[in-house]
Amino acid sequence: MVPLALALLLIAGGVALGRDAVDPVQLRLLGVRLGQAAVAAAGVQMLAAEYSSGLIRATLLAVPRRLDLLAAKAGLLTAFVAPIAVLGVGVAVLGLTPSGDLVRAAVVSVLHLILIGLFGLGAAAVVRNSAAALGIVLSLLFLMPMLLRMLPDPDWQRILYRTTPATAVQAMTTTVDTAILPLGPWSALGVVAAWAGGALVLGAFLLYRRDA
Amino acid sequence: MTTIEVNGLRKRFGPSVALDGMTFVVQPGRVTGFVGPNGAGKSTTLRMILGLDRPDAGTATIDGRRYADLPCPMRHAGALLDPHALHPARSGRNHLRWLARSQDLPDSRVDEVLNRSGLAAAGRRAAGGYSLGMRQRLGVAAALLGDPPVLLLDEPFNGLDPAGIVWMRDLLRGLAEDGRSVLVSSHLMSELQDMAGHVVVVGHGRVIADAGVNELIGAYSSLEAAYLDLTAGVGGIR
Repeated sequence: MVPLALALLLIAGGVALGRDAVDPVQLRLLGVRLGQAAVAAAGVQMLAAEYSSGLIRATLLAVPRRLDLLAAKAGLLTAFVAPIAVLGVGVAVLGLTPSGDLVRAAVVSVLHLILIGLFGLGAAAVVRNSAAALGIVLSLLFLMPMLLRMLPDPDWQRILYRTTPATAVQAMTTTVDTAILPLGPWSALGVVAAWAGGALVLGAFLLYRRDA
Repeated sequence: MTTIEVNGLRKRFGPSVALDGMTFVVQPGRVTGFVGPNGAGKSTTLRMILGLDRPDAGTATIDGRRYADLPCPMRHAGALLDPHALHPARSGRNHLRWLARSQDLPDSRVDEVLNRSGLAAAGRRAAGGYSLGMRQRLGVAAALLGDPPVLLLDEPFNGLDPAGIVWMRDLLRGLAEDGRSVLVSSHLMSELQDMAGHVVVVGHGRVIADAGVNELIGAYSSLEAAYLDLTAGVGGIR
């Protein structure tokens, strides 16, 4: 629960950034970029913590149907992350003039945060280790954008910008000069959903197949 | 009356063969000792019966069904496999409470099994601070939670003090007298000789002997002598 409390603080903290900017919506939602790390940690810990403590063996004796177990964890995680994301994003945009762009950016941000939590859970099911799972997710979210900027081949750069969650939050929250972005907000959400879904499906398959 | 049926289990871990056609039946109403050298496949067999490990071939069933197919499985089979499988910050009592909730059992069962395991006083302390002996007792409490007709215990005597060993012996004997199927892996032949009605001796991933304890004592003078003779030359770890 510590990561989720931190996520709430980080996301809602955007409210302190004021509104004097070319794109106040993007400015206020900067907290989502930080908060997503904490949400990812919550998703990872939901399963990986059981592997580090050994509790997983007791859990699997109580609930031997492993796909049911993963589905229950995904549902519970969503039930925790969703209200925190709604509250955090809601506080962050307090006082901004309502507009279609604002509502869209807020809704997409909330959905993004839920998906990032599920991505963390899926990654944990794949590698069964907190540090490794969080490393994978955070690398994609924070290291990838830096690496992409240094990539010499512009074609590859463009492909990777459009297929990884590297600049997802930027694409989701920008409301001014959107033409220069590689992806629109909903497409960016789709990319994140594909990564989260892929991790969950692979995690479910491995959880089902592997010895505990 | 519920039996455990292990039929032709095979398992490889990389190049090494862990189980090579493991086959036996555990009958109700007696303690069945499960013995063999380290690496003979005892723990892997127990883990397969409980659905934690997946066999390459063969089946393991409780009452004719795979553990994972049992609704509220802890009401059908109780297991003490790994005494460290707990959340260190949670109290022993709360550990049992979430298990009870998962099996649709009332909290009153939790206090019953805590008392029966001698943990009534320690139940509200964080389980991370328990000694190995206390963790074994908590594991026994979890195994008994669903009042199951089948019990599987892996090295339950580890870490118990002398009073704990006597307690465990009487408990297991009593559970078998209730008509339950009780499978106990152990290296303590003297304990098993006093307590078990039957033993399954394994080596190299298969059964070497499946016989009554009295029968073996008649043939070899003691269970330990029988064990040493039967497993001579059967190195466990290959």
